Amino acid sequence: MRYGGDNRSRLLLVTLIVTSLFLITLDLRGVSLVTGLRHGTQIVLGPIQRAASSAFNPVGNFFSEIAHIGRTRAELKNLEAQNSQLRSTLIDRKNVESQIKQLKSVLNLAGTGGYKIVSAKVISQGTSVSFTQSITIDIGANAHLTRDMTVLCGDGLVGVVKEVYPSTALVMLETDPSFHIGVRIAGSQEIGILSGQGTDRAILQLLDSQTTVKVGDVLLALGSEGGKPFVPGVPVGTVTSVPNSAGSVSQIAEVQYFTDLHTLGIVAVVVSPPITDPRDALVPPKPVPTPVPTVTIYVTPTPVPFLAPTPTFTTKK
Amino acid sequence: MYTRRGFYSTAIFVIVYLAQLMIIDQVHWPLGGFSVFLIFTLSWCALSTPEVGAIVGFFAGLFLDLAPSANGPVGQWALILAAIGFGLAFLRYGDDSLRNSPLSLVVFVASAVVVALTLYILFNALLGNEVGKLSQLLRTVIGNGLWTLAIAPFILPIASRLHRAIFEIHEFK
Repeated sequence: MRYGGDNRSRLLLVTLIVTSLFLITLDLRGVSLVTGLRHGTQIVLGPIQRAASSAFNPVGNFFSEIAHIGRTRAELKNLEAQNSQLRSTLIDRKNVESQIKQLKSVLNLAGTGGYKIVSAKVISQGTSVSFTQSITIDIGANAHLTRDMTVLCGDGLVGVVKEVYPSTALVMLETDPSFHIGVRIAGSQEIGILSGQGTDRAILQLLDSQTTVKVGDVLLALGSEGGKPFVPGVPVGTVTSVPNSAGSVSQIAEVQYFTDLHTLGIVAVVVSPPITDPRDALVPPKPVPTPVPTVTIYVTPTPVPFLAPTPTFTTKK
Repeated sequence: MYTRRGFYSTAIFVIVYLAQLMIIDQVHWPLGGFSVFLIFTLSWCALSTPEVGAIVGFFAGLFLDLAPSANGPVGQWALILAAIGFGLAFLRYGDDSLRNSPLSLVVFVASAVVVALTLYILFNALLGNEVGKLSQLLRTVIGNGLWTLAIAPFILPIASRLHRAIFEIHEFK
């Protein structure tokens, strides 16, 4: 027989639901007590996340590699050939090398663009239950970070600082569905709005319907007033397809981000915008096709030996 | 007695929450990943009486609401998990055919995870927040359900033993 619950249990459920609704209302109205609770949690959890990141980062990277097994099959085959100690040493070393490479790359980008940056390490990849695309970095208000600062990596834009805590900060990634950024097409300087879709592709909506966009066009951040939330000139992505939009009010295109957000280790937060707009200085160079050597084969005909006619013998009868 | 139960239960949930934060969230899992905390909470609710299920769901929801990466208002997960915790315990508690069947419990918990995430999306949409592309949401919700089916058989025996040690009400065979 099913337990139906008595009036007391129903009253309890109603009380809990009403309490939840009350909390939601308080939060939506911006009551500082509720917001402060979340900040307090982050203050407590920030150091724990940082410690966990340094302990589990190699393991996390290992699992991430498994997730992209098709891409790294060749690497895995090589690793299988080595013994287990060498394997773990290699993973550790690869992790450090990758971070150094990312750091060099982001310093390069910031130097070319004239951005003043503070580098940071990614300590958490976010969680699936929040349905947000976010990461946590290991610097916060202590490093003079504030909300709405641009976050970069060596390949281009990563996102924007959403929340700042004393020693950590939450960064909304460019792939988040609520992420929108003003962009311009390098070269033509046409402007549009790029919106995250929750995947590694975004949708570009050009503001002028008369303009044309083509596959391969590079998009750069248009920049905001005072460099917040976006500094100008940061590479964002490249146009991969332009759907046939005859009759539509504005031109749209699908865009692939430059940044691979699955492998982020080191990022940089722009704390001061450039003095002058870098314009198209940060457009990534187009990949140069590797020249394929042409093989020319000279064939010298081998002289055919002269074949003498076979003598015929006749007998006289 | 209530204080002792509350204290032990809170300690267990804090440990699971920290495990989620320190280990699971450090890895970029395929199919959108999973939440051990959510699976553990719903397993706990399924093993409890409806009253306990609602209370556990409410407080576990508050944990999720106060998480650094939570994007909804505080109280959203509490509301959803209180209702689902009550419903899950209500459906399972009185049904003798389901009570002693581990497989049905796994399916129950996986379904509850899917329902909880779906309600969370709907609630977000209702509040006017952008929730993303349908395909991406479907992938995450179904991915979470599949992960739960795979992981719940390992979590349920632990949850059951801990629950029995604290409440001494149910037996999970």
